[in-house]
Amino acid sequence: MAHVVSPLDQPSNYKDSQTRVDRRVQNDLLAKSTTLYIGNLSFYTTEEQIYELFTKCASPEDGGGIKRIIMGLDRNTRTPCGFCFVEYYTHAEALASMRYVSGTKLDERIIRCDLDLGYREGRQFGRGKSGGQVRDEHRQDYDPGRGGWGAQAQRLEIERRREVEERYQDATDGPGAVAGGGGDWKEAETSGNESRLKRGRSPEDEGEGDTRLGQRARLDEDMDAERM
Amino acid sequence: MSYDRPHRGGGNRRRQNRDDYDDRRRDVYESPADKLKAAIIKFGEVDVLEELPLLEKQIREFTPLVVPNLSEAFRIAVTEQPFKIPYYAALLRRLHDLPEETATVDGPSLGKQILEDFWKGFQAYLDKLAWRETRLCIHFFAHLTVAKLISTDSMFALLQSFTAVLEEFGVSHGRAKKAAVCAAEGLMIGGPILKLSSAERVQEIINAIQAYNDSATSPKWLTGPVVKMYSEEVSTPNADELLDTVLQALRTLDESDFAETATSFSQPYTTYADPDLTTYDLPSVLVPPEVIELDGLSTDSGEEAQVKKEEWPEYFLRLFDNDITPDPKTPAGYAVRAGLLDILDIFEVNRKECARLLIEYSKWTIPGTFKPKPGGSVVPEPVPGKDWQLESTIVENVLGAYLVLPESCHKSIYYIGVITELCKLSPSTVGPAVGKSIRKLYSTLGDGLDVEVARRFAEWFAVHMSNFGFQWVWKEWIPDLSLSIQHPKRAFMRRALEFEIRLSYHDRILKTLPAEMQAPEGHTIGEQAPGPDFEYDDPSNPHRDAAQSVLNLFRGRAEAKDVISHLDTLKATLETSDDGGVVNADALIRSIAIQSLLHIGSRSFSHLLNAIERYLPLLRSIASGGASSAGGSGNPEAKADILTASAAFWKHNRHMVAIVFDKLMQYQIVDPTDVVGWTFINRAEIKELSESTGPLSLSAFEWDLLKGALDKANGRVMIARRKITTLRKEDDDTRAKAKADGNSMDVDADVKAEDEAPAVDSPALTTALKAFASLTREQKGALSRTLDGFVSCLAPAATDLNPNPHARIVISDEGWNDRAAWDKDQWNAWETWGWYRQFCRSYAPYLRNYSTTLFTVSFVKFEGSTDPAAELLKKTWNVATGQE
Repeated sequence: MAHVVSPLDQPSNYKDSQTRVDRRVQNDLLAKSTTLYIGNLSFYTTEEQIYELFTKCASPEDGGGIKRIIMGLDRNTRTPCGFCFVEYYTHAEALASMRYVSGTKLDERIIRCDLDLGYREGRQFGRGKSGGQVRDEHRQDYDPGRGGWGAQAQRLEIERRREVEERYQDATDGPGAVAGGGGDWKEAETSGNESRLKRGRSPEDEGEGDTRLGQRARLDEDMDAERM
Repeated sequence: MSYDRPHRGGGNRRRQNRDDYDDRRRDVYESPADKLKAAIIKFGEVDVLEELPLLEKQIREFTPLVVPNLSEAFRIAVTEQPFKIPYYAALLRRLHDLPEETATVDGPSLGKQILEDFWKGFQAYLDKLAWRETRLCIHFFAHLTVAKLISTDSMFALLQSFTAVLEEFGVSHGRAKKAAVCAAEGLMIGGPILKLSSAERVQEIINAIQAYNDSATSPKWLTGPVVKMYSEEVSTPNADELLDTVLQALRTLDESDFAETATSFSQPYTTYADPDLTTYDLPSVLVPPEVIELDGLSTDSGEEAQVKKEEWPEYFLRLFDNDITPDPKTPAGYAVRAGLLDILDIFEVNRKECARLLIEYSKWTIPGTFKPKPGGSVVPEPVPGKDWQLESTIVENVLGAYLVLPESCHKSIYYIGVITELCKLSPSTVGPAVGKSIRKLYSTLGDGLDVEVARRFAEWFAVHMSNFGFQWVWKEWIPDLSLSIQHPKRAFMRRALEFEIRLSYHDRILKTLPAEMQAPEGHTIGEQAPGPDFEYDDPSNPHRDAAQSVLNLFRGRAEAKDVISHLDTLKATLETSDDGGVVNADALIRSIAIQSLLHIGSRSFSHLLNAIERYLPLLRSIASGGASSAGGSGNPEAKADILTASAAFWKHNRHMVAIVFDKLMQYQIVDPTDVVGWTFINRAEIKELSESTGPLSLSAFEWDLLKGALDKANGRVMIARRKITTLRKEDDDTRAKAKADGNSMDVDADVKAEDEAPAVDSPALTTALKAFASLTREQKGALSRTLDGFVSCLAPAATDLNPNPHARIVISDEGWNDRAAWDKDQWNAWETWGWYRQFCRSYAPYLRNYSTTLFTVSFVKFEGSTDPAAELLKKTWNVATGQE
């Protein structure tokens, strides 16, 4: 059904300009993507709040659910900087979020979702010069939810900020910094060896194997510029 | 729209690197034929009647004439913009008439050519049983029959091929319902001319639908939104069932020989002179049977494992009086409801456009149907009996569709999102309609509003408020604080606030409440933010030091095996301590280890995942009861202890309990069956967590835990099934390829092996089939444990531990009528009955596969019993599994 109106579940024309994967391959990846980029979050929004909203697009009865949430952090301070990735188990759930949740409010801000190629190491950090998102480098307006707050007026926010500042102090980078989220159901360990002998099948392979995408250092700063 | 946002800052630099694939949405060249198609589809955006002759002229003058292009435009227009169907019928009728300057007839008219080609599209929809498209094409044909372009005989035949479906042996309710609505709506629109042609065939159609509806009464007992458990009869004030409304509207029309069709459906073509040309005969059709995909998979005990979502009678709640919103049992009211529901369904891909089209709906209705917008230039004369409020009508119907039982057609969040968009489009008119709807729904709580409807109401309320600054006038509900603490109104307030807090944070929500509700004695909201509770942090806890030592290992990122050996040492110490040793050292060690691990993971959802992933070997070791290998399905008691420790740690935060349980299942530390068992039995140990302490019963929170476990079990079977399908196809392809290649030398070893013994499955498929067998076993176990749990809650034997003495009283007539005096335990028992109903109807597709075994296991003890609770349990079960 798309002759009369455009569906809301189309990816934006955001492009990671330094990726070497050409547009066609990117489009193929997006057509199967289970990951969403979420933008315009308040710095104070927690993963549990995000979990609560995005669970509403999950289809557990179909083998889905929220696999993991990766909070976007300021490179220097290790504090949330207003974006995150939500990864589901199925593509349909990511599409549902695009249709039903993108453009609605979370924590009293209108958030934006975009289909994403998938989380790669290093992408949890902001790419702005000061460590946060690029958009917050150039932003002119006063935005209490994103660091532009007045201390007297925002007493509650200060309280929340303290918690938030402590929360991710233990965040690290490098492999294994981010949880995998757990894979499909597997036969218990004891049942064995014979199942593992023949061609290691890929469907349940959770590894972030696509080195073409993953290994390049891509601290280019446009990462989040267009994505608000 | 989001993807139309212009590039910001620094765009030029970035653009340099881009290749040809860069812009995903390059402008597509639009040919003149495409433009004509677009003109047909967009027809009517300004003034439909003015545009009609212009568009006719544009089509006639366009060369070259490509009929399929035109008919495709009509097909898209009719199936995606049903509100314009009468005008497309008028347009086609004009294209059928001879243009004035043409003197002679040369072959079939343009209109007829388009119609013939349009029919092919209809046939394709029917072949794939695309019911909505099929039905909307029937609307189009019915209008064309009234416009005298289609013969009444062939239209009757078309409608009757749909009523024939109702007489099929063993027809599913879903199929029958959709076929009946196709025939009924076609008759409503075509009635004026059809009845003139044959009153008898009109009667036949109505009678066929009536006969079907009379035969399908028992499922209605299970899906009405207002519950009277003691009563056999299905009476639902404030709610209408779809087929009931269809029939009542149809009968009303028939009584007046379809005079009311003209005041219910637009018919812009009725003023046209009769056409000179002969009418078109629709070819005859047969509604194809439903395709049942047989994958031949059955469980290891031989049950069918196919899941077929059964469709139920659809009840829509009414929230307003008949003078505010139309009564769907009347012809005009039915037309409005059907029109709005079609928009809601078709535009699911774009909720913003959906909201816009709903708000513009009055433009397509007969003038006077809805109150005019204030400030409009022309104020039409209000039509007596109509003059309804558009926004209230829209909100009522969107909520009606949202609250259909056992589940809505689309995800809850879609309907919630549409209402949000409606409010954004027209806050001053939609806002009050939403407020009134909330008050009306709230007022029915405690008068039998189904527990699942109440849960969805709370969910909508919280998400809606989250989008509109949490502004609700809570103080109007202060008087209800005097009701029993488990009264559905109070349960609703607590639940709605809990959901609001999940989307926001405690202090923010607390601020929105009046003092009476903030106060601890109001029992409406927690006093503090729902944080973790690490019980071994308390200096007075005798095991504080032991827990600290474990915590320190976790903090130092010790290896799992070191933690395991430390726990063994701790256990030995506890067992031999001075004061005679700890009674259950195993349970205590488990509690210390799990709580400490959750403590490490308590900062965020990601921290939780990291903690679990890092210590999977430890968790497996604990789940297996300390046995050396982590094989098998673990030790039930150890797994119950894990769940208890997790629930105790998060006892102030039920959201986290649900998340932790979900991830423990995800990482296969515990199984869904463990969670089900725990929810019915062990949960009562943690007083803070549960609304339903005291006698065994379930509230919405426990239901959410059960649902999480059952969905997990069912979801895994679904994944396993998909995997098998893929692998089988791969195997078949490999075999076919091997065959084709003959004995060529470069086939790899795998293929060669299969070539020699073609019937052997690949190892991957064998593994997948084994996984499928254990997963269906687990699924059956989880369902069985749930049924058992409900049976012991609702029909407890006097000897059971902590039976609810009210389980039988609340389902009796007098018990229910005495509800003003009910206290906590009565309401808990009533709610538990409600969740049992929801369990049976929403998991019916799964339960059906195992119905014989499960019935025997859980109900055999009631053989010959006249216990009313046992009777109701069995009746509910039988209706849900299609045996009554």
